[in-house]
Amino acid sequence: MKVAVLLEQRRQNWLELDRLCDQVRRRKHEAELVVRFASLYRAACADLALADAYQLPPGTVQYLHQLVGRAHNQLYRSRRRLDLARLGRTLLVDVPRRIFRDRCVQIALLLFWATFLGSAAMAYFDADWGLQVVPPGMIEMLEDSFDEPLSMRDPQANFAMAGFYIQHNTTIGLRCFASGILIVPGLYETLYNALVLGACFGYMARPGVAAGGNFYEFVTAHGPFELTAIALAAGAGLRLGLGWINTGGLTRAASLRKTATDTVPLMGVSGALFFLAALIEAFFSPLPLPYSIKAGVAVVTGVILFLYIVVLGFPRRVR
Amino acid sequence: MSSVPCQIDSVIEIATPENIAFQYRVAGPFRRLPAYLIDLAIRVAILFVVALVCSVLSIAIGGISAAVWLLAYFVVSWFYGGLFETFMHGQTPGKRVLGIRVMSTSGRPINGYQAVLRNILRVADMGPVISAEAVGLPPIPLIPTFLVGLCSMALNRRFQRLGDLVCHTMVVVEERPWLSGVVRFDDPRAFELASYLPADLQVRRSMARAIAHYAERRRFFSVSRRREVAQHLAEPLLKQFGLPANTSYDLLLCSMYYRLFIADRGDDETHAARAKAALGHRMSPFAYPLQRGPADPTGSPFR
Repeated sequence: MKVAVLLEQRRQNWLELDRLCDQVRRRKHEAELVVRFASLYRAACADLALADAYQLPPGTVQYLHQLVGRAHNQLYRSRRRLDLARLGRTLLVDVPRRIFRDRCVQIALLLFWATFLGSAAMAYFDADWGLQVVPPGMIEMLEDSFDEPLSMRDPQANFAMAGFYIQHNTTIGLRCFASGILIVPGLYETLYNALVLGACFGYMARPGVAAGGNFYEFVTAHGPFELTAIALAAGAGLRLGLGWINTGGLTRAASLRKTATDTVPLMGVSGALFFLAALIEAFFSPLPLPYSIKAGVAVVTGVILFLYIVVLGFPRRVR
Repeated sequence: MSSVPCQIDSVIEIATPENIAFQYRVAGPFRRLPAYLIDLAIRVAILFVVALVCSVLSIAIGGISAAVWLLAYFVVSWFYGGLFETFMHGQTPGKRVLGIRVMSTSGRPINGYQAVLRNILRVADMGPVISAEAVGLPPIPLIPTFLVGLCSMALNRRFQRLGDLVCHTMVVVEERPWLSGVVRFDDPRAFELASYLPADLQVRRSMARAIAHYAERRRFFSVSRRREVAQHLAEPLLKQFGLPANTSYDLLLCSMYYRLFIADRGDDETHAARAKAALGHRMSPFAYPLQRGPADPTGSPFR
């Protein structure tokens, strides 16, 4: 049989499949349509498979490749339903255990806190350290904004500040995570933030700084969530970066993908912590309450974190 | 195509459960960068509109509109690509303009998780950033160079940047070629010449494919170019068939295409008559038959 005859026979089928590709997307659940679509798709697959034997002209073969590709895309969709049970299991079982035993998270936590405390100590004992490490103007800004004791402020300003904290802090977290895939930039980002934060804390704790008391009243309540969230994001990024170095016997691509599925929930938890910390920071921290209540909130959030990471995450036999 | 053992090309083959392999062309940086720039412009436009609305609203609800603006800024700068790719089947507006689409390497559409993650990881691909102070541009603090992403794309077959590698996605060119069918010739001399070809004309598949390639592309060539291209194939064929050496090379390949793909001997006359009727008076009897001559009548070779 000549190709021209064959093409005439098939043309109608192909064009119909072409049309159905668009229709199936719009009207998904019509059974007849789907059945017709599937059989046309199989026929087109068979034509493509035999294209070489039929000696179809190259232009037609190219058309078939695209047609089959589009139809394949319509037929094999990934499920988009949200599986709540699985999500809960990930959040309450997998993530805490991973945080508890993942060396990268431990290293990131250790590095972050060591740098933070070291920088704070330096700034405490040496006033110049703070001024040198922190970007120019930031210390003055901090001193200015905490000059006066905390007072009730306009509740609408709280909303604005909540937006700011979510945007600003989560961006830092996401940057720590994403650049963690290259390890060095990720560590740089993390340690730089630790240095600057530490220097601010240390400088504010100096006896001569008047704004220090107000500053600590402000930061205590949301500190545990926020600082843990940064370190967690950095740990997740570091794990992702090690994914393509320490492959554990997989190919690099497969290993990267596996570590990604492991670490993205960590980043999700870190993002949630950032969000909660921002809410506390915006609506609770600026309230003029006695320091003991703020410290109480810090303790409660700290205990929640402890329960989450240590109690839920403590390794136990998996059945 | 399986008979081309190792093509150096940007074509990726995907095997389906139906046990066939279809092909995609992956998109390189020169398609993806313009798409990104368009998306960037759209992002700026969205933020501009949100800023306008918020500044109008701020008279009524000051703090909340500021919060809305900041949250919009956060969502647009981190999740613009992820959201669009989730809900527009792997395309952002910029990608749609450039005709490219994100797809998982297994050939399936991407899911939301892949879409969001690959867009967040763009931060790593944009590096290393250079400080704008070095170039003397104060307003933008850092300029991304995209070198990490470029290197990663150069190092693998699918042009995947780091975010694509992590999510097992790739960006493919989405062409919608027309179903063109077989090439039709208007030149009756091709049909005439076909009757001089051996009755038991059999060629190998690679030869048939070469001839088909030529016939589909020849309309883009000038007359002299056609001659030059067809020469390599036609000269030995003329000898083999025992045809005069001054036969037009182009016509010979056309007639072979016609014989192999379109019609057997019995149908020659109807085809020739149809072509003549379509062309009518413009045919010069002197260019007929089998002369090299100025040869080609104008007009599309396709029906």
